[in-house]
Amino acid sequence: MSEPLLVLENVTKNYGAIEALKGISFSIGKGEVVALLGDNGAGKSTLVKIIAGGLEPTSGRMLFEGKEFLARSPAEAKAAGIETVYQDLSLCTNVDVVANFFMGREITRKVLGIPVLDERAMEAVVEKALASAGTRIPSLRSNVEHLSGGQRQAIELNRFVHWGGKLVLLDEPFAALGVEQTRRGLDMIRQVASQGIGVVIITHIMQQAFQVADRIVVIRQGVVAGDVARNKTSPDAVINMITGETLAGAGPAG
Amino acid sequence: MNPRTRQALEFVLDNLVWFMLVFVLVVFSILIPNYFQLGIFANIIEASSVLGVMSIGLALVIIAGHMDLSVESVAALSAMAVGILFCSSGIGLGVQLHPEWLMVPVSLLLALAVGGLIGAFNGFLVVKIKMSAFIITLASYIWVRGLVLVISGGRSAQDLAPAIRWFGIQRLIGLPLTAWIAIACFVVFSLIMAKTPFGRHLVMIGGNETATFRAGIRVNRNLIIAFVLAGAIAGLAGWLLAIRTSGATANLGVGLLFNAFAAVVIGGVSLKGGVGTLPGVYAGVLLLSAINTAINLMGLPANFTQVIHGLLVLAAVLLDAFKQTIRQRLA
Repeated sequence: MSEPLLVLENVTKNYGAIEALKGISFSIGKGEVVALLGDNGAGKSTLVKIIAGGLEPTSGRMLFEGKEFLARSPAEAKAAGIETVYQDLSLCTNVDVVANFFMGREITRKVLGIPVLDERAMEAVVEKALASAGTRIPSLRSNVEHLSGGQRQAIELNRFVHWGGKLVLLDEPFAALGVEQTRRGLDMIRQVASQGIGVVIITHIMQQAFQVADRIVVIRQGVVAGDVARNKTSPDAVINMITGETLAGAGPAG
Repeated sequence: MNPRTRQALEFVLDNLVWFMLVFVLVVFSILIPNYFQLGIFANIIEASSVLGVMSIGLALVIIAGHMDLSVESVAALSAMAVGILFCSSGIGLGVQLHPEWLMVPVSLLLALAVGGLIGAFNGFLVVKIKMSAFIITLASYIWVRGLVLVISGGRSAQDLAPAIRWFGIQRLIGLPLTAWIAIACFVVFSLIMAKTPFGRHLVMIGGNETATFRAGIRVNRNLIIAFVLAGAIAGLAGWLLAIRTSGATANLGVGLLFNAFAAVVIGGVSLKGGVGTLPGVYAGVLLLSAINTAINLMGLPANFTQVIHGLLVLAAVLLDAFKQTIRQRLA
């Protein structure tokens, strides 16, 4: 495995008396695609939120590029180079495509010392980014509420490809996509990883995990139930790890 | 439908309230004798300055997905603070500053500070303690008005210092300076909302707060600023109100909140947040003022105003729903 980008050591999260994560340890290398699998309620989304700064862990530590890391807000995680695409869409449907693409990172120019949105520059960037990804959206100036679910998800995916960063977290990114768009999305992930960016993708669809991931990490009841290279396992073995029928033979746990 | 008709239709929908304003002005001009005069139109603008300024603050907070019911009481408190210090009769202390013009910035800063502080208080409770803005600002609406009664003892201050009154008397192109202040506020805040990252962020927070938080926008900071601005703008409205009435009474501005609400809703701001523009709100304010003027000219009892305003708000909400369906068809 390549040099580790993010290392999690015994990360836990309690909600009152409920232990959502009981101690998660795994690592993600640069340019590596890790598929995070697990049943509903296994703690995958909680884990993603902890890495992305949406939640603080109860205990444990994280190392990002070899340094102690804890994001107290999504802004901190972004500043460190961690991009996240959430399962429930993170778009503001009341503004247009360009505004969504640049949410929180608008290009501005100073007029009398006051930052003013540079709409033309932003529109040009979005046009280029969408064109290079093969996404067609009728008008960049129409509000996102008028777009289809697939178009919305495409905006989110293009957004992360454009901003890149060092690590990308994808929480069920293809839930609303059609077959062709999903294929393109998976290509995008490979393309992003080939630039040396680490990718964590949560998915329910075994086929997708096997198509795109270098390594498969299974979480069950708040612990890592399996952590194996894709080419050393099979869908059936992974399903057994998810349901908890077997731990042995699936690779080293935790 | 070809793109051009579609674009034209979208344009009409976006600016519907302006078309309504023009329509109403034309109809009144035709039907009501003496309505079509420059003096009347100037009066419409002049009469709407206090309400207009107050509506800006209210609109900012509503666009950001929250609510500020306290603006009316805050304006009254600011007006009373200015009145007590700078009025020479009633409960006014008649404070004199030299040179005289110094009273203008001092009174203005006082009004803005009073409003800003209450806005900060509202914003802090809403953002940090995560209580409903509706309840917090309803409480402020009540206690701030109470404070006005307490510090005034129910009495009034009259005869505002002439240096401050000057803004209500001095005219520029037929309009008093107070009206120009209101217009300037609309221009400045419209630009802020449409052209700066701050304005863009407020609109997006109103649309999807979670998404903006995840995108790394400092939601809490922006919301507190919005509440402080709403308070400070209400303070400015109070300052204008004190000038307009040359003093302050304990029940100054009662009922303005509902007019501001009406103006904001008629102006196309959605109470759900994230939708609406300030030029629209100004058109809403002018529309209300145009109708008031018509009622006055026709010699109807002033009590009708409230009935008509209520029906207008209802019409505005229905219109909003209608616009939504048309837009969905367009998409």
